[in-house]
Amino acid sequence: MAIFAPLSIGRLALLANERAIGVTGHNIANVNTKGFSRQEAVLSATRPDSSGFGTGVQLSTVVRSVDGFLDARQLASTSSLGGATTGRQLLDRLQAYFPVGDQGVGNALAEFFAAANDVANNPQDLAARNQLLEVGTSLAGQLRNAAGGIQQLQREADQRLGQSAFDANAVLQNLAQLNREIVAADRAGRETNDLRDQRQVALGELANHLSIQVVEGDSGSINVYAASGQGLLIGTDAVTLKTELDPAHLGLDGNPLSRIGIAARDGSVISLSGEVGGTIGTLLDLRDGTLVDNAAALDLLASNLRDGINAVQTNPAGRDLNGAVGLDFFSGAGAADLRVAIADPHGIAAGQGTDPADNTNALALADVAQQSFPGLGGATLTGYFGTIQATIGQQARGADESVTIQENVSSALAAQREAVSGVSLDEEFTDLIRYQRGFQAAAQLINVSNTLLDDLLGLVS
Amino acid sequence: MVNRVTERTLMTAFTNSVGRLRRQQAEAQAVLSSQKRLLEPSDDPIGAAQSTRLRGESRELGAYRDSVGVGTAALGAQDAILGEIHDMLIRAREIASSLSGGLSTPEARRTAAEEVAEIERGMVALGNTTVAGRYIFGGLSTSGPAFTSPDDPGFTPGTAYTGSTTPFSVRTARDESVRITTSGGAVFGSSLQAIDDLRQTLAAGNDPVGSMDPLQAASEDIRQERASVGGRLNRLQSRDREIGNAITTAKTLLSHVEDADLTETITQLAQVQNALQATLTAGNSLLHTTILDYLRL
Repeated sequence: MAIFAPLSIGRLALLANERAIGVTGHNIANVNTKGFSRQEAVLSATRPDSSGFGTGVQLSTVVRSVDGFLDARQLASTSSLGGATTGRQLLDRLQAYFPVGDQGVGNALAEFFAAANDVANNPQDLAARNQLLEVGTSLAGQLRNAAGGIQQLQREADQRLGQSAFDANAVLQNLAQLNREIVAADRAGRETNDLRDQRQVALGELANHLSIQVVEGDSGSINVYAASGQGLLIGTDAVTLKTELDPAHLGLDGNPLSRIGIAARDGSVISLSGEVGGTIGTLLDLRDGTLVDNAAALDLLASNLRDGINAVQTNPAGRDLNGAVGLDFFSGAGAADLRVAIADPHGIAAGQGTDPADNTNALALADVAQQSFPGLGGATLTGYFGTIQATIGQQARGADESVTIQENVSSALAAQREAVSGVSLDEEFTDLIRYQRGFQAAAQLINVSNTLLDDLLGLVS
Repeated sequence: MVNRVTERTLMTAFTNSVGRLRRQQAEAQAVLSSQKRLLEPSDDPIGAAQSTRLRGESRELGAYRDSVGVGTAALGAQDAILGEIHDMLIRAREIASSLSGGLSTPEARRTAAEEVAEIERGMVALGNTTVAGRYIFGGLSTSGPAFTSPDDPGFTPGTAYTGSTTPFSVRTARDESVRITTSGGAVFGSSLQAIDDLRQTLAAGNDPVGSMDPLQAASEDIRQERASVGGRLNRLQSRDREIGNAITTAKTLLSHVEDADLTETITQLAQVQNALQATLTAGNSLLHTTILDYLRL
């Protein structure tokens, strides 16, 4: 064994421990970096010399502590949580239009029929008639307010789709760039750990917008697909998500809604198909399903109220205070444009026949409250409104519970990921001492080798 | 439970716990300040629908109670007036009785005719009684007096009634209406006719013995009508009590659906506050303890 061997071994050990301290320092520095995965310096013995004696140590690689399956689960959980959170936000605001207590449509319905009963008690009293017109106006206003609220939420969901597509495009471009850099670094033999962490964070951001499937190729680049299998990123080639107004798809406010999809080369938009997932999936479900269904239910209530009241008001036998057959009380096609159509309290057809003191028609008007409407599945107006309220309450509650569940799942997965990939300062400081000792020992080895050399050179001289 | 716990795991768990407890604290606070457990439909979707239904029913019962009030006022007034009419008919019979037979002079009868004329005017005035501007014997109309005045030219008892002949009912329950009007023409007709005949007989100085039977028959008509009014009044009064009970039941049910159990909520709030305090204390101790405190590098 050559006299210089310990010197060489000491030098290699110094270098290896110094680089290991560098890796530990990198871990410590990134303790608060989002998505950072703990790195570990892997030291290995260098090849023995021709006699089989050891030649020292080298830092063979720096590995990134990750669990690929856990990462995939986290992406799925991020999509679910993103969707649930968006759903809760919008449904929470939806239910605010259907309050419980002394307000809202339910209360206005009760007040309306109580006022109709007041007219029945005092058919010639203009104050009672005015009151009926006022509470009728308030009831119509409440229904318009709720319908308008649903319209606004639908428009907002549509606009959020555009924002989501815009944000997702930025992430896709970032992913394409990271793919490019990782492949290049891999080819050049450089470590790609930090780039891969950044790419995983970007995938999480994309998964928040829509469900994705990730497939990693041999070159180190990844391909990203939507849940339907439509390609979003193939290597360094990212698609552009685009929204365009679809004249064939009108919103509740009568204006066109957007179609979201992948921009084709000819400028057209290929719609995202199947279960989209994430924020975009929830926005589409709410915009085209939940909100439309609730608006339809509200319209059904409004049109049955309008028809039920108008049928009594325009009964050919009925007479208003001027002795004429009554005109429509409510006008409008649905909840969004329901209004009281008569302004003159004399116009309420409270009686039948020529006697202005008769209250037969007003009693029938008040009786509409108990009427069972075939169009509402046999329910009364108040009963049907209660059903709408319960449905919306259940939807909001379901969204809230989804968020709680997904938060729990996400927390559990984050804790599991942290257990695998998180930086523990306790560990890092222990490692720091370990490598420091290794470095000190290597320095001592060089010192001893130096002394040996000095001794040898002393003999020669 | 994971086996490798990093500072971030501790920090995240701490933040999540504090966040969850703060949320629970805010929820308990909202319940306490409003004293309601049902603040929005998602708190209890079925409860929200029940609340709407019960509030609707409560308001409906309130409306029936208003109707009962209108009916009680109208029928109560009618009952009192019919009593007075009955007294007037008795007085008229007394006059007729005292002036019958040969002992009465035509002058005495003509003098008595004045008193009977006053009775007739009084009867018409009672027939035109209003409650809140509504003629209670005129179909509760506000349009005009139920009867023309005996002093009007061409007055005849048969055509004196000009009020409404349409029965007026109020709704007192989903399937129950109570008629609260009595057509003045039908009730007062025989009375006015008998009184008017007596007045004319006496004014002509004739023997009023022939008026005795019609006055008796008119008294019977009034008595029968009064019994009917009293029956309906009783029904309304009993309905008022029923409505009162039903409103109490609806309010009790509504309270059960909407109101918070304050004892439970206060206990929950205290528990949450204890847990929050414990979490903050534990967090303070855990997050400030690192290996750095013990190492000398």
